[in-house]
Amino acid sequence: MIKESKGFKLIRAIFLISAALFVIVPLIPLVFMAFKTGTEYASTGVFTAPQSFLNFYNFMYAINVGKLGEALMNTAIILAVSLTVQVLFTTMVSYVLHRFDFKLKKLVTFLFTMTMFIPVVTTQVVVFEIIYSIGLVNTIWSVIILYSGVGIVGIYIMLNLLDSISKDLDESALIDGASYFTIYRKIIFPLLKPATTTMLILNGIGLYNDFYIPNIYLNKSTQTFTVALYKFFGSMSTPFEIVAAAILLGVIPIMIVYLFMQKYIYYGLAGAVK
Amino acid sequence: MKKVVSVASVALLATTLVGCGSSAGASGDTDKITVHTHMSQLVLGEEKKDDNGNTYRDESTAYLAQLAENFTAETGIEVELVVSQSADDIEPLLRVEDPEVDVFTEPNFSIEKFKAYAEPYFTLAECEEWYGDYCGTMQNDGENVYLLSPAKVYEAAVVYNEEVIQAAGYDEIPATLDEFEAMLTKIKDMGVTPISLHRIENWPLGTIRDFSAYVGGDAETFTKMLQSDTPFSETDPVGQTVKMYTDWKANGFFEQEVYTDFGVAMDSVAYGKSAMMLFGAWVVPQIQERTPNGMGSEIIKFAPAPDFGAGRYVMTKAADGYAIGKGSDNKEGARQFIEYIADNADYLAKSGFIANKKGVEPIVPELYQLIDESVEAGETELMFGAATTQNSLNNEAVLKEANLLADDKWAGLLFDSYDITKPGNWDAYNAQVKTQNDAFVKFRDQLGITWE
Repeated sequence: MIKESKGFKLIRAIFLISAALFVIVPLIPLVFMAFKTGTEYASTGVFTAPQSFLNFYNFMYAINVGKLGEALMNTAIILAVSLTVQVLFTTMVSYVLHRFDFKLKKLVTFLFTMTMFIPVVTTQVVVFEIIYSIGLVNTIWSVIILYSGVGIVGIYIMLNLLDSISKDLDESALIDGASYFTIYRKIIFPLLKPATTTMLILNGIGLYNDFYIPNIYLNKSTQTFTVALYKFFGSMSTPFEIVAAAILLGVIPIMIVYLFMQKYIYYGLAGAVK
Repeated sequence: MKKVVSVASVALLATTLVGCGSSAGASGDTDKITVHTHMSQLVLGEEKKDDNGNTYRDESTAYLAQLAENFTAETGIEVELVVSQSADDIEPLLRVEDPEVDVFTEPNFSIEKFKAYAEPYFTLAECEEWYGDYCGTMQNDGENVYLLSPAKVYEAAVVYNEEVIQAAGYDEIPATLDEFEAMLTKIKDMGVTPISLHRIENWPLGTIRDFSAYVGGDAETFTKMLQSDTPFSETDPVGQTVKMYTDWKANGFFEQEVYTDFGVAMDSVAYGKSAMMLFGAWVVPQIQERTPNGMGSEIIKFAPAPDFGAGRYVMTKAADGYAIGKGSDNKEGARQFIEYIADNADYLAKSGFIANKKGVEPIVPELYQLIDESVEAGETELMFGAATTQNSLNNEAVLKEANLLADDKWAGLLFDSYDITKPGNWDAYNAQVKTQNDAFVKFRDQLGITWE
């Protein structure tokens, strides 16, 4: 075991405390702001604590007027459906690309890779017209379809893990009479669990925070959390104390997910790094 | 198994498409119109502050929603109101000519966009029958009007906190520039910000364009830059106006702190931390709503700007615009709704505007009282806002080519070039004047534009 000098321990402590402060300090005004009255917000500094941490007015306003509950439910449905489809499609595509040789395999892989280099913004006029023409604008299905696409990053994560899953398992199962789909369902898919968890975390956070797509496709009555948050911003002025409360409400689902899944999240990300 | 997978895939696709409320290619619905508007406060009610400063929605002020209900009761045409946060929300639907965009309001579209997205409301000649000279200030291409503005409004004036100027020893906004600046100095000496500008954003400096009309004594002052080789110099009205603003900056008449948004700037006037703003009528009700203890119109007043050298003026323009979507499947219903608004002086007054259609008895909101009195007494002259002409379009084309149009850089670059940490040093400002003058002349000549 390496013996740590006092100097090293001090430097490490300073570094860790600084890193923690970088993360925590910006959150303090946000928490303070969420519990302030409008007058307090207008007349006190950002690091001044609110008179009372029992002032839930801003939270109630965000829920009742901003319909944040409804928005969070929409976000949950969109995430649940699109992440399920994403995981199924990505694991299936990866399984096929890794285990089978077929004509145009390289081209297919190349095309998946190419999608990485095309910014979403540049295709949106055309994509909007397509989604509009099939009548999905202003329904959550527009966002679900756009989110359900297979991303090359997910495929690479899966392919990386598939390298370590022996083909002998597939062949043994084939000899026992299993179909390719059974092999995928009963062997490959369960063994891809660490990579699947990684993908769910990375994509889940990205989709939860995405504003661009839902704002374009859901601008009428249905809204996601980020769009509902945006509605608090006025063209001329914004009640920031309410925005702060709404942001804190938006953090709650993520915290709950983290509390229940921290083991998987840790091992999932560690697995991805490996 | 393959069959099972195929069937499951089709079923999944079918399920995802079931119940999708399609708007594409919707058949014409003459009993309903959809109105997309950026005026959220008129649909949902104004956001106000209670005694604790907490935000609440006053649904009794959802005047457009109330008007829509009355319209439905009288005509049988249902109205769906959709609030747009910005032009980005509505533009994708206009681009595909969504039949459900029957009426839209979007103040920030250029005339090119209105031509692309809106049905011509009527010809300029037809417009003039109903709205006279105000048609020139509506969005038009010289032939057709695309955005009907059924009301008029006063622009480019002073909205101020009366308690602050009274504390400085004044009962009203002084009539001359010298007296006005003397008042600003006294207010500054009291430790109060004389003028809230909200420089952190670009658009507030755009008002210099209107004020330059007062300096030049001509609504077309800004357009007439085209005739000058030195439009940004102090010897020209536009340059003189920017210099006046920059002098005020040098004298510390604007806020020293950075306002996080325009609401904070308005709060500063409402709470007396700042004495005034130089904007249009639209800002007055918003500041009045923010005053503590509901003082509102008792302390927040709206008065003509002082005489900047060519006379004391107040600008009047057409206001509150409505357009019919090009793809609308109920253009007749849309037109009926817009005309219903134009005929409703009460609604327009509650929105802060004055009905302007011939034959409609206007109701003048209380906020215009001081300006009306000043105009009636002959102390202030009404000035029509500049009309869109080939010259004004050409002038903007030159500024655009010189990269001075977007974000009102023609004013912002000059204003920012004066460094308040180097008091009295105008070298950078003068250099910027020369740069802009040279660029303007160069691109005007390159484009071959002359005054028509």
